[in-house]
Amino acid sequence: MTRRVLIYLDPEGEADSIQLLEAANRMYGATGYRSYGLRLAGTCPQAEGLLDVLLQVEDPRVRPYDAANLARCVEAAHRKHHFDAILIPATTFGRMIAPRAAMRLHVGLTADVADIHREKGRIELVRAAFGGRMRAVVAHRGRGPLMITVRKNTFTLDARIRRSTDIAPLVVDGITEPEVTLVERRPAEKAADIRESEVLVSGGGGIKEHFDQLEKLARALGGRVSASRRVVDAGLAPRRIQVGQSGKTVSPRLYIAVGISGSIQHVMGLKEVDTIIVANTDRNAPLCSLADMVVEGDGMEFVDRLTKRLLKGGKG
Amino acid sequence: MRIVCLAKLVPDVDNFQYDHERSALIRENVRLLLNPADATAVAIALKLKADSRAGSVHTVTLGPRSAMPHLEDLLRRGVDRATLISDPAYAGSDTHVTSHILAAFLSRCGFDVIFAGTHTLDGGTGHVGPQVAEILGIPHMAGISHMDPESLSEGRAQVRVESEEASYTFALQLPAVLGFAYAPEPKLPFIRYEALKRDLSGRVEVIDNQALGLAPEQVGVLGSLTRVRKIHVKGFRSPNTRFVRPDDEGIERVYRFLREKGFVR
Ligand SMILES: Cc1cc2nc3c(=O)[nH]c(=O)nc-3n(C[C@H](O)[C@H](O)[C@H](O)COP(=O)(O)OP(=O)(O)OC[C@H]3O[C@@H](n4cnc5c(N)ncnc54)[C@H](O)[C@@H]3O)c2cc1C
Ligand SMILES: Nc1ncnc2c1ncn2[C@@H]1O[C@H](COP(=O)(O)O)[C@@H](O)[C@H]1O
Repeated sequence: MTRRVLIYLDPEGEADSIQLLEAANRMYGATGYRSYGLRLAGTCPQAEGLLDVLLQVEDPRVRPYDAANLARCVEAAHRKHHFDAILIPATTFGRMIAPRAAMRLHVGLTADVADIHREKGRIELVRAAFGGRMRAVVAHRGRGPLMITVRKNTFTLDARIRRSTDIAPLVVDGITEPEVTLVERRPAEKAADIRESEVLVSGGGGIKEHFDQLEKLARALGGRVSASRRVVDAGLAPRRIQVGQSGKTVSPRLYIAVGISGSIQHVMGLKEVDTIIVANTDRNAPLCSLADMVVEGDGMEFVDRLTKRLLKGGKG
Repeated sequence: MRIVCLAKLVPDVDNFQYDHERSALIRENVRLLLNPADATAVAIALKLKADSRAGSVHTVTLGPRSAMPHLEDLLRRGVDRATLISDPAYAGSDTHVTSHILAAFLSRCGFDVIFAGTHTLDGGTGHVGPQVAEILGIPHMAGISHMDPESLSEGRAQVRVESEEASYTFALQLPAVLGFAYAPEPKLPFIRYEALKRDLSGRVEVIDNQALGLAPEQVGVLGSLTRVRKIHVKGFRSPNTRFVRPDDEGIERVYRFLREKGFVR
């Protein structure tokens, strides 16, 4: 039986929305479903040629940040096409749309799905629980589509199968005048993204006065600097380079943590990191238990010496 | 202007206990703390009150009886009224049910605006704010980092939301649910000495399902649409940790290790 999967295409996260095809592949196999995209007219052109059907909302009252009306659109699409699964990217607005749509459809919603398995024909949804300490397998009850949100970078779509795309307008009853209006939008300055770096040198409370000096070590390793929240809250680093629960989730190959204790909220931001090196005066700091190598001592001494060693090069 | 704050007590994740048989968190006897984002929301509400921009601040909490001392603490910090919704029948409720219970209370308690956190530390789904708004049929915004205090009196609120893509300013019609992101400032006000002796009776109420009258099959585990089926207590990774010091020998070992792993050419 061919399944039907709806993906909400958020104009503020077009690429991340399309990546959700991979989540659908995990659920039903790459050829086991028909993919539907829900988009606002004039947005997300990249979906053309990758999804089977694009349901297009043409009512100008529906804005990408108006979760109440967008939830009505998701509901209308489902009433018409009866999806097996509805996938919504965990973007700023996707996070607000999904719960409202789930409520309208009276279905369960699993947020931030980190992994999807199939076991004996049943789909298993895995998410982090209790501050990242545990992984929970979540089951949905009752009838209705499997509804999930997925964070950026969780699944990577490698084989982009080209499809011929049907574009069909979606008529939605009950759209109201928006109760949320956009007054101003200022694009965030496009700075280098720590999630794209294979090497991160990260600084924390233990060395925060010297945070700016991490840059040279990062550069010697061809990587970037990141920070714990202690450094960000102290105003010594911008929020966009914060690793952790209220910052970013990163998967570098190498993570060097200098003067970071390793609170659970920080560790939550580390996903599938290959190699961890920790420099800390306290060998019992929680992060040390995750490290491949612990340099016990002053973090800045470590940074200075290792930088010099790297610049010197050779076998030594 | 009556502000209602949704304030959840979350188990201190570093010391939680888990009932593997029932697949539920043991909420009795666990150390609780006010969810950080909710504390920010309450602090903003109290600041509005101190500046005479809000008349009253009322917190609403769904949770176990052990939340009581925390609610009394909030009253001493300047909250006018606290409601604890607590009933054994509510144990095991998922966010869908939680939102219905909170909305059932909210629809009768009277408010001009609802403050909440964007998400909680324990569940962390961020579903409750938007779902409560959906049931009440009002707008919602999450991830608010700043609110213009002056805009609040005109039947609307102007808020700022920062995302990776942009910084947005939105105007919302009130009533609405405003979900604040955790921020280090403002902090909850200190408890003044006089407040320690203040008579709190009559300002905290505990209500149960008799008062709300939800059908038993709609609440708790029965009413929930999602259920945690299995929990893997995962060792995130447990490598063979090597210890060195930042001396010549130690740095050389780090350097060689980086070479072996291919980080140095
Ligand atoms: C809702 C919420 C969300 C949060 N989100 C995040 C998040 O996204 N990211 C995050 O990082 N945190 C987050 N936190 C904060 C987190 O709980 C910790 O407070 C924070 O991570 C601590 O940062 P730290 O380890 O750098 O500092 P500290 O806890 O101060 O640790 C400093 C470390 O440096 C070591 N040290 C001291 N001197 C030296 C020296 N000379 N050389 C080397 N080491 C030294 C110490 O032994 C210690 O281990 C969050 C908290 C909450 C409540
Ligand atoms: N049990 C609860 N009692 C009161 N408020 C809650 C409760 N659960 C969630 N909330 C509110 O909803 C927000 C989002 O919670 P969550 O959906 O659990 O991440 C929280 O920050 C609170 O403001």
